[in-house]
Amino acid sequence: MSDPLAVARTRRLDEAVAQRRVLVCTGAGGVGKTTTAAALALQAARLGRRTIVLTIDPARRLAQSLGLETLDNTPRAVTAPGVPPGGLDAMMLDMKRTFDEVVERTAGDANRVQRIMANRFYQQLTETLAGTQEYMAMEKLADLHATGGYDLIVIDTPPTRNALDFLDAPNRLTDFLEGRFLKMFLRPGFSAGKAVGRAVGIGTGLFMKAASRLTGAQVLDDLADFFQSFEGMYEGFKSRAQQVYRLLQSPQSAFVVVASPEPAALREARYFLQRLAQEGMPTAGLVVNRMSMPPLVLEALDPEAAAAAAAKLARGKADERTVAVLLGLHAQRRDSARREQRAISAALHGVDPHALIEVPLLPTDVHDAAALLRLGEWMVGDPARA
Amino acid sequence: MSPPAAPPPPSADLFGARLLIVTGKGGVGKSTVAAALALAGVRSGRKTCLVEVESRQTMAAMFATSPWDFTEREFRPGLWGLSVDPEASLAEYLDLFYGAGRLSKLVVGSSAVQFATTAAPGVKDVLLIGKVKEMEQRRGSDGRHVYDLIVLDAPPTGRIVNFLRAPESAGELVGIGPIRQQAQSVVDMLVDPARTRLQLVTLLEEMPVQETLEAVEHLHALGVTLGPVIVNRVEAARLSDAQRSAVRDKLDPAAVAAILDRAGLQADEAIGEALLEVGAAHLARQDLQAEMRARLAADAPVPSIELPALHADRFGPAELDLLADVLAEQSP
Repeated sequence: MSDPLAVARTRRLDEAVAQRRVLVCTGAGGVGKTTTAAALALQAARLGRRTIVLTIDPARRLAQSLGLETLDNTPRAVTAPGVPPGGLDAMMLDMKRTFDEVVERTAGDANRVQRIMANRFYQQLTETLAGTQEYMAMEKLADLHATGGYDLIVIDTPPTRNALDFLDAPNRLTDFLEGRFLKMFLRPGFSAGKAVGRAVGIGTGLFMKAASRLTGAQVLDDLADFFQSFEGMYEGFKSRAQQVYRLLQSPQSAFVVVASPEPAALREARYFLQRLAQEGMPTAGLVVNRMSMPPLVLEALDPEAAAAAAAKLARGKADERTVAVLLGLHAQRRDSARREQRAISAALHGVDPHALIEVPLLPTDVHDAAALLRLGEWMVGDPARA
Repeated sequence: MSPPAAPPPPSADLFGARLLIVTGKGGVGKSTVAAALALAGVRSGRKTCLVEVESRQTMAAMFATSPWDFTEREFRPGLWGLSVDPEASLAEYLDLFYGAGRLSKLVVGSSAVQFATTAAPGVKDVLLIGKVKEMEQRRGSDGRHVYDLIVLDAPPTGRIVNFLRAPESAGELVGIGPIRQQAQSVVDMLVDPARTRLQLVTLLEEMPVQETLEAVEHLHALGVTLGPVIVNRVEAARLSDAQRSAVRDKLDPAAVAAILDRAGLQADEAIGEALLEVGAAHLARQDLQAEMRARLAADAPVPSIELPALHADRFGPAELDLLADVLAEQSP
């Protein structure tokens, strides 16, 4: 088996589910990340590992698929067949609550907590800022890893167009915290216009004029107040981000890249696999959901002979015409499958996903425990069985 | 954006506004539909610009062109393409207000801009929509709008509300100055039914339909006018009612194998069984589609337009043209 794809197809996610402490599911939006994360968590819990699945999805799909009414920022017990009581928790990351918790935990005194939470920038930041989501996922992961008492944390990354943001967020934050722009806001006796002008390397007068004409001077003062109120907490942000980064690089963790067989989703998966290799982060496998996959026995049918037979049957009696349609449906699925295989080969050219798991398109959505179980077994089970 | 007294009336006309904002759950084919809408716009004689944000060069790959950037290029007759980028939008905006390129050269690329585009609330989104508003208002020397139609391949439904609310949030935060005015004029454009339509894309599957119905509610609350929901990748029914019951109840694997044998295709019961499974999967999919179609009709206040699933061996510009044909037929 010199074909690397054929080798990857023989591998499954059994080791990842049984051994790792952190699994990160990542990929483009709408490819089934949340469902994949839930199915893997269920498998681990059935092995007797105390597991939590953490999702960042605002659409609350994980709650649906786990049969829970609501998910909020606290772990909720999930009951499922074959899982001991207390063996599986699920939670959804509430960005604002997590940010508030971090502030409460690290700010020290109540006055300061109040000052931060009253700041207009803080209020906007915690609700709307895209990058905060990734950063808060990191904070929550660090928290759960340190204090949750779980054998395994399965985390579902935010539904960003660019799944790489998850890896970039801590670095971006660290860069920003070390940047001149922040430093000057933290200087005692900050005066908006002068300091900003110096920091960004523009003549003070020019910057002051521009900044207040664009936004009004009040904004810069609010901003300064915002940054100053966090003074002394930045080191903590930075070191936790670095800790998580190291945790994700360690053999305790592994990434599961999720895709659909669409070229755009596979391109995203390719970038991510390459990036993981660069960062020295372990990859457990690539899961491609929603594949056409014609039944194996039908591969014995010669496409041309089948087309000829279908043409003949289409002119026949009622049952013959029905069988002609079935042959046509099969041919259609075979064409789609061929297109999908080409897209997968292209995406994985020169890239090693470790395991390649192709999941067939199911006629209905996966949203109950039984369907999650089947999906999970497919991902960890014996590939020959397929 | 304050909610109007009553939700704005939906419209069945695809091109009733100059700006179409296309969104949908990840994976429903939002970019494909945006591209097909732009092509259909061109076919109706409209000078059209297709705009992508969060560039992954999806459009360039789809139309098989060279990579897109911040320059509007006519890549097909009557069809321009642009990839908006927050930093380039900021530079252009500063130039517009301060004349010379001096300030923008100093500011863009500085840590201040890095901050603005990665950490400041919604600034990136304001800059992106701001650029689209500039295009929507731009007039040529003849006094006419440069573009009759702008199709924006917007962020997915999970992010669309924050994306559209960004100008208003920025306006609240800033208080005075040209950014405030700019924010207000963008909000004015977004809630004007003659100027902006929101085009939701979905599939006839449970989660996409669920997310579409939730988005309809949130978008109504923002005061944005919705165009018809575009239902992508609809599988055509291939089996008649009589054939449906034959597959489900009458035909067995041996009978199918016998029919194949008589037609000169050697087959055993396993093949017969697998073909019946293929038929059953098709029927299950049809049932799901019917259920979801009924749910959309009952719960979405807007009509739907359906696009066929294409099973071509390859998906390329020809398939895109086919989808554009279907859209063009459904719009006056």
